[in-house]
Amino acid sequence: MYDFLETNSMYVVLFIVLIIWIGIFAYLKSMDKQIKNLENKE
Amino acid sequence: MNNIFKYSVFVIISLVIITGIVLPIPNIPALGDKARVLYFHVPMSWISVVAFVMSLWYAVRYLKTKEITYDIKSFSAAQLGFLFCVLATATGSLWAKFNWGSFWNWDPRQTSIFILLLIYGAYFALRSAIDAEEQRARLSSVYAIIAGITMPFFIFIMPRLVETLHPDPIINNSGKINMDTTMLIIFLTSLLGFTLLFLWVMNLKVRLELLKYRKSLKQA
Amino acid sequence: MKNFLRNVRIIFLKDVRSELRTRYVINSLLMFVLVTISIIRFAIGDEKIEDEILTGLLWISIFFSASGGLARTFVKEEEKETSSALKLSASPTEIFVGKLFFNLVLTFILNFLILILFILITEYNIKNPLLFISVLSLGNIGLVAASTIIAAIISKANSKGTLYPVLSFPVLLPLLLTVINATKLASAGINSAEIMGEIRILVSYTVVVITVSVMLFPFVWED
Repeated sequence: MYDFLETNSMYVVLFIVLIIWIGIFAYLKSMDKQIKNLENKE
Repeated sequence: MNNIFKYSVFVIISLVIITGIVLPIPNIPALGDKARVLYFHVPMSWISVVAFVMSLWYAVRYLKTKEITYDIKSFSAAQLGFLFCVLATATGSLWAKFNWGSFWNWDPRQTSIFILLLIYGAYFALRSAIDAEEQRARLSSVYAIIAGITMPFFIFIMPRLVETLHPDPIINNSGKINMDTTMLIIFLTSLLGFTLLFLWVMNLKVRLELLKYRKSLKQA
Repeated sequence: MKNFLRNVRIIFLKDVRSELRTRYVINSLLMFVLVTISIIRFAIGDEKIEDEILTGLLWISIFFSASGGLARTFVKEEEKETSSALKLSASPTEIFVGKLFFNLVLTFILNFLILILFILITEYNIKNPLLFISVLSLGNIGLVAASTIIAAIISKANSKGTLYPVLSFPVLLPLLLTVINATKLASAGINSAEIMGEIRILVSYTVVVITVSVMLFPFVWED
C-alpha cells in the first residue's frame, strides 16, 4: 500500500481532496439538522 | 430537500473528484495535466453567475410583491454567489500563475470576474449602510437590477479591447463542441453536482436567515 | 404630456436657482478641477507624455469631479429636508428627469472647463476634434444617466460620501472602458466610421440605463 502510494502520488492528492469533501459534507449535513431542530422548536 | 437529494450530491461530487483526478486526460498542448482545473474551476464561476442572476430575479420579485422573504432570498443568493466568485477568482489566478506566468494579468476573463466581485462588494456595502429593513430591501434590489443590466455590455466590449488567452475548450470559434468525450461527461457531471450543492447550501442559508428574521420580529 | 414637460422644467429651474444662490457645487467643483489639473501638471513636469496616457488622465479628472458634483443632487434634498415637499409637488418621473437635466448641464459645463484647462496646460493634441467632442458628449450623457439613479440610492443611506464611488464604479465601468477607448482613438485622428461600434455601445448603454432608471426611480423615492 505504502509503496503503491509512493509511486502514484496522484492518489495521495485524491485522498486528501476526498477527506476535505467528506468533512464539508458532514458539516453541511449537521447544519441542516440543527436548522431543522430550530424550525421545529418555533 | 430530502436525504436522497443530499446523498446524491455527495455521490456526484465524489465521483467527479475521483474521476477528475485519476482518469487520464488527452494531451492538450500547453495545458497538460493542468486541464483538470476545468472540472473544479469552471463550476465555481458558473455558480457565481447563476447566483447573481438568482439574486436579480428575487430582487425583481421583491419590488413587485414587497414580500420580505424575497429580499432574504436575494441577499442569500448574493452572499453565496460572492463566496463562489472568490473561489473562482482564487482557483483561476492560481492556475494562471502556472499557465500564463502571473497571478493577475487583466485578461478579459479576469477583468469580468473582477467586475462581478466589485458589484457584489458594492451591494454589501450598500446593504450595511442602510438601517431600516424595508428601505434596505428596496434600495439594494434597485441597485442589484441596475448593476445587472449593465453587465451584458461587457460581452460586447471585452472582445474589442484585448484578445483573451483563456482556453475555450467547450465551445470554440466555430461553435462546435471540441472536447474529449470522457472529459465532457466529467465536466457536465461536475457542473450538475456543484449546482445541486449550491442549491442545497442556498436552501440552508435562506432557512437560517428566515429564522433570524422571525427571531428579530419576536424580540421587537 | 404638456404638464409633464412643464413640471420637469420647474424642477430643473428650481435646482439651477438654488445652485446659483449658494454656488456650493460650482465653487467647490471648480476648485476641485483646478487642484486635480495642477496635480497632473506638477506630476508631469517637463516630460512629454503620450496622448494615450493623457486621455486616461483626462477621464480620471472627469470621473472624480463628476462624482463630487453628481452625488450631491439628491443628498442635498435629504440634508435640507426638502424631499417631502418635493414629493408632494411632482411625480417621481418628473423629479428624476428634471434632476437628470440639471446634472447634464452641470457635467457639460464642468467637462468643457476640464477639457480647455487640459489642452492649455498639457500638450494634448486632438487630431479629430469634432469626433472627439461628440464621443466625449455621448460619454457624458451615459455618465450622468447612471450617476443620477445611484445618487438617488445613496441619498437614503448612511455613509453617503464614501458610498458613491463604490456603487457607481462597477456600473459605470462598461461605459468608461468604451469611452476611454473611443476618445483615445479620436484623439489619434481616426475617422468616425472606425469607431461606429463604440458609439453604438455608448448610445445603447445610455438608453438602457435611462429606461431602467425611470422605471426603478419610484421605488427609490417612496418612503
